[in-house]
Amino acid sequence: MTGAPAAIRTDGLTKYYGPVIGVEDLSLDVAAGEVYGFLGANGAGKTTTIRLLVDLLRPSRGRALVLGVDCQRDSLAARRLIGYLPGDLPIYPDLTAADYLVYLSTLDSRPVSQAHLRRLFDRFDVSEVDRRRRLRDQSHGMKQKIGIIQALMAQPPVVILDEPTAGLDPLMVQAFRDTVAELKAEGRTTVFLSSHVLSEVETMCDRIGLIRGGRIVTTGTIEDLKRDATRRVVITFSSPAAPASPLPTGATLRTAGVAEWVIDMRGPLGPLVQALAGLPVQDVVVEPFKLEDYIAPFYAEGADASRGLTGRSNQ
Amino acid sequence: MIRLLRRSAAQARYLLIGSFVLLFGFQLIIVGQAEEIQRTQAFGRVAELMPAFLQRGLGSRAMLLATFRGTVAFGYFHPVVCLIVAVMAMYFTTEPAHEIESGLVDLELSRAVPRSRLLTRSVLLSEVAVATAAALMGAGTLLGARLFNAGGMDLPTLGVRARLLANLFAVGSCFGGYGLLIAAWSRRWMTAFTTAALTAVVLYLVDFLAIGWRAMRVAAWLSPFHYYKALSIIAGDAPVGRDIAILFGAGSVFACAAYWRFGRRDL
Repeated sequence: MTGAPAAIRTDGLTKYYGPVIGVEDLSLDVAAGEVYGFLGANGAGKTTTIRLLVDLLRPSRGRALVLGVDCQRDSLAARRLIGYLPGDLPIYPDLTAADYLVYLSTLDSRPVSQAHLRRLFDRFDVSEVDRRRRLRDQSHGMKQKIGIIQALMAQPPVVILDEPTAGLDPLMVQAFRDTVAELKAEGRTTVFLSSHVLSEVETMCDRIGLIRGGRIVTTGTIEDLKRDATRRVVITFSSPAAPASPLPTGATLRTAGVAEWVIDMRGPLGPLVQALAGLPVQDVVVEPFKLEDYIAPFYAEGADASRGLTGRSNQ
Repeated sequence: MIRLLRRSAAQARYLLIGSFVLLFGFQLIIVGQAEEIQRTQAFGRVAELMPAFLQRGLGSRAMLLATFRGTVAFGYFHPVVCLIVAVMAMYFTTEPAHEIESGLVDLELSRAVPRSRLLTRSVLLSEVAVATAAALMGAGTLLGARLFNAGGMDLPTLGVRARLLANLFAVGSCFGGYGLLIAAWSRRWMTAFTTAALTAVVLYLVDFLAIGWRAMRVAAWLSPFHYYKALSIIAGDAPVGRDIAILFGAGSVFACAAYWRFGRRDL
């Protein structure tokens, strides 16, 4: 960091709904130009966080800043920097897609480049005919594409997307990934997206934050998570092998058959490889890192909290 | 602001057109009816049919209703007219609750649009709608007088009609402010609108019952309809300015409270 303000920053951001925690003491930084994936089970606090950032909710305490601008104190200036896609896209059913975009673009008079808009239409395969149809007659996927376009059309420096690929077909998911990749390559736009599709987050995001019961439980780059993750290593022997000398730190022997061991390994593999020296190893298979495997335990642990059973801590 | 106004007006166009046609048509019909009663010289029988409690409560002014002038003017304070105007005003000012419920507020206010602008939009639209309705009612009376050849009859003077409509407009504004306040606290449009509309009906009944029921007179002070003394306006002895000031004052207080609340709430 060079002293430039973070694209998104929250300091002890807290929102209570009566006795229920929306989010509590949430502190995170998203650097400018970064693609940040915000993960969590249903009700974990993702949408609450996002709605605090766009000042639709008022925090119980703490603060949120977008490019150094306070989202509550200087709400209008902060919102001028944001493109936002809500989780459930609201529509005016009587408007055509084109009129809907014109209406939204003129609300705050942010300029929209027609060339950029055309590129978005092309990328998301929104034809002239689609643009002329009323939104009530459009499919869910088409509405979602229009929603993504309205968030991106003014080329805001910060884009906040709540489950952007929900309802998109695989081709359009790919189009969305390409768009995010393009934004990342250009480096001018910060993307903050919440999603349940872990493979998507793994592919697109530079960093992720995992929220559970309103609190961030882990955050880091995918590489950080890989280093931190437990990987399964399956070792096959050409002849029966005696149990090895003590396994290195981070290794847990799950099953030790005559010809095959299964080891859960956390940390670098080097020490394990050294420990296997001298044994009749025929094959070593290291299961590739999967974000799903890493995240799943957090989701499971968070199920109760996410059902609103988490009470406010006494502060 | 213009965009917001146009969008809201477009969404409510059928209700607007329906209300305008109803209020305009109502004046035509009532002039036609008054002309018929006048022609058949049946106002005497109308006076006989008037309920005793009304005659007692309203005194000699009750007899104004049994005149051509009073019947035509009744089109400006008939319960249906008063309630349509109040409900129309509140329909528009409860729109912010609809925007919260439908999530449209997320799209509008995630842009650099001040929260207060949504309320101002609703107030403006409500005022314009009520003013247009009042103007159309006035036009309806004029057209009715022409259609039914009632021009030579004893129509309420232009001044009386203008005062009645101005007072009706003030009643609409007061209820508009009340609707805005309810909306500023609500998450559901149906709850906000139903609460506001039922309040209007109850307050009308309170004011009506106060005519013949002394115990209701204290409660009637709380009803905006209490400050629309139509018969006194027709008789020419009503403190119209004071009543209108009270109605606008109450509406403004409601609106200020609504702005305060809406600016601080979660959406």
